[in-house]
This record gives sequence, structure tokens and C-alpha cells, in this order.
Amino acid sequence: MTRLVDVPQQFDDRSFEQFAASFAQGAAGGERLLFDAHATEWASPYGLVGLLVAGQAAQAGGRERPLLTVPANPRVLSYWARAGFFQQAALLFEIHGKVPKVKPAEESDVLLPVTAVRAAEDVHQVVSNIQRRATAILTSQLGIDPKATMGFAMALSEACQNIVEHAGTSGWVAVQHYEWKRRLAKRVVVIAVGDAGVGFRHTLEPTQAKRFGDRWGDGSALEAALIQGTSRFRDPGRGQGLKGIRSYLSRWDGKIAIRSGTARIAIAPSWDDDAPLTEGLSAFPGSQVLLIIPEQGTGAS
Amino acid sequence: MIPPIDVHAVLQQSVPGPYADLVTRPTGRAVRERIERAIADAPVAWMDFTGVRCIDYSCADEIVAKLLRTVVILLLRGVTDAHRMAIEPVLQGHGLAVVIVTSAGLELLGPPEAAAVVREELLARRLAERTAGGTLALTAA
Repeated sequence: MTRLVDVPQQFDDRSFEQFAASFAQGAAGGERLLFDAHATEWASPYGLVGLLVAGQAAQAGGRERPLLTVPANPRVLSYWARAGFFQQAALLFEIHGKVPKVKPAEESDVLLPVTAVRAAEDVHQVVSNIQRRATAILTSQLGIDPKATMGFAMALSEACQNIVEHAGTSGWVAVQHYEWKRRLAKRVVVIAVGDAGVGFRHTLEPTQAKRFGDRWGDGSALEAALIQGTSRFRDPGRGQGLKGIRSYLSRWDGKIAIRSGTARIAIAPSWDDDAPLTEGLSAFPGSQVLLIIPEQGTGAS
Repeated sequence: MIPPIDVHAVLQQSVPGPYADLVTRPTGRAVRERIERAIADAPVAWMDFTGVRCIDYSCADEIVAKLLRTVVILLLRGVTDAHRMAIEPVLQGHGLAVVIVTSAGLELLGPPEAAAVVREELLARRLAERTAGGTLALTAA
């Protein structure tokens, strides 16, 4: 028997909970999963990475390879192909529907196609590629000081390293920039990093659970990592990565949100109304990190 | 004084591929270990960051902060604003200081207490002298 998991029509961080709930329901049965994206009209990097994470998790425990029905809209299909999604998805899903043969990247809106992160070498490649492609976009279209574009690479590097250092499995990263008409009326750069690994709670449990006592859970683990900068290592130099990302985003009025297990934490600037901490969400594997950097200066809604 | 260590060259020897970015802990560890072998037990080390495009917090911690466990004075040159963005918070977190060598003279980077200790060491070891303007400059030694 096959269980259906609906991919939202507009698949981004806001509709992600709808997807996570559908995934949790489908995965509970232990049957083969069918991810149905035929009606999907748009997906952010967060959506694309999240879909891969779900695909990887759907095979856990020796379950049959999940199925994926591709978007019916040829424009959407072409975009997913250019974003490098199908290259990664082909390794995880049995894909149903015709996938266009398009070379990923070399597209103005795709700053970094969906890229697998398995080891430190992949992080080097990601940082090298993003600097080649993103510097001009960050300075000319987002109005970020050319000197600060290196901070963007640092933030990306640290976000990817969370996978290598803590997830216990591989993950993916994708970076795109686009016009955010409805939400902000500005251009934004969106970084999505996700994995189907052990998540923040499991990583921090040996060193932090006792401190939090009854409060310990996915939410408090995220708080410990993002707000308090704690790490599973006792070395005082650890935990600098997320702190550095926060500091970079704060300087450029950016946003960070991390979802892990059943909780989601966000540090949102004034232009965003995301809740600081949401608990009791549907269980979803690993961790998903979202970074958004808006265009600087004029055009605020 | 010992010649500066070319960090970019050490990076090239430490990772497969022609990367110019000091990123990830494994890379930082590999680079530091090579530098440690090069400086042996010397109390003073010189590192030249020219050619290094980006350094992240993890590498700054692995290289700069951990070298300062054994080295008394760490002189850095070729340091850009982008490098400082990663190195400075790491030094703050550990309560350590380094010496940045620029064409204008020497600058101590790190929290004031740690910087004061390094300043005294520089003068005591006659590696630096006070200029007429009150700043520090390297001695010819």
C-alpha cells in the first residue's frame, strides 16, 4: 500500500507545516510514500530542500523508495530542474513524470543549485561557488556593502557545517534570490540548509538536558543552540557558528529560523511576523535552517 | 625573526582542490597542525593571510585561538576586514589577543586585558618599540 504526502501548492517555510503534518501522518504507517507535487506552483529553496529531507527519511528502516509525482506546470518543472532539484531527487525518489533535461545553475536567480553536503570538502565547494556567483548580486541588487559579502560566505559555511558536524548524515543547501513582492516588496536572498539527521535535541541532550530539566525538548534545544550559543562540545570555541550567523543577519536586517523535530525557533526582524518559538509541531526529521537577507535601503513595504 | 608562514600556501597543501577559503573545522585543524610543525616550539609566530579570501569562525577558532594555546605572540599580516569579522569574535570568546601587522604599524586585536599582556610581551622581547606617536612598530630585529 502507498500513502500520499501532499506537497503544498506554494511550498515555502510558511506552508512547510502543512507538508510536515502530511509527512508525519504518512510516515507513521510504515508504508511506501508517494509525494504528490503535481499541483505545486512554486517552491522556495526551503521547500525543495525539505522535500529532499523527507525523501531521505522516507527510506529509513529499509522502507521502499518513495515515489515523487513531479509538478504538472512545465514552467515550475523547468525551474526545479534549473535549481538542481531533480539531480538530487533522482537519488532518493522513484520519479513519475517527465523531467526536462536542463543544466542546473548558471541561472540568475539560482545562486547555488540544490547541493548535497556530506563532508567538509562539500562546504569548501559551496563557499567557493557562492562567492563566484553571489558577490555581484549581493552588492548590485541587494545593496550590501562589497566588504560584507564575505560575511555571507561565512554564514553559509557555518550553516552547512552544522550538517557535517552534528547531523550524522548528509544534507542539502540551496541559495536563490528573488523578488518578494507580497511579503516584503523587496528582493531577498534565501539560504536553505536541511538534513534528515539526529536534530538539535539529540545532539545537545548529553550536555544540556539536565540543565533544562522538565523543560527539555526540541524547543529548549533550539533555544540553547541559537539564543545561548551552547554546543555539545565543552570547548569554549564551539557554538560560535550560529552566533556569527546571527550577528551577520542582525547587521543586514536578516532573518534566521531553525526547525528541528517538533519545534521551530526564529529571530525575526521588524519586517517579519514569525513567532519566536513554536512547539508541538508535527515531527519532522533532522534540522532545517532558513536564512533570509533582504535588499538594503529603499522599497520597504 | 622567523619568516611569516604563508597561510594560503598551507591551505593549498592541506585540502584537495584549489580553494582560497579557510572554512570548516577539519580544514582549520589540518592547517593548524602544519603550522604547529613549522613553528615547532617557538614562542612567537608570524602568519601571512595574503591570498586567503574568506575565513569562517570555525577556522578562526581552530587556527588562531588554538595556536595561542602554545604561542605567546601571534603576529598576523595580510588580514582583511572580512578576516577580522571572524577572528575578532573568536578572540573575544577566548579572552585572547593577536598582533595585526599593517603598513601603519602594529595593532592589537582582542579584549583590552589580553591585548595589554601581548603589548608587554612584545616590548619585553624587543619585538616592538614605541613610536613617537605612541603607537607600536616592529623593531628591525
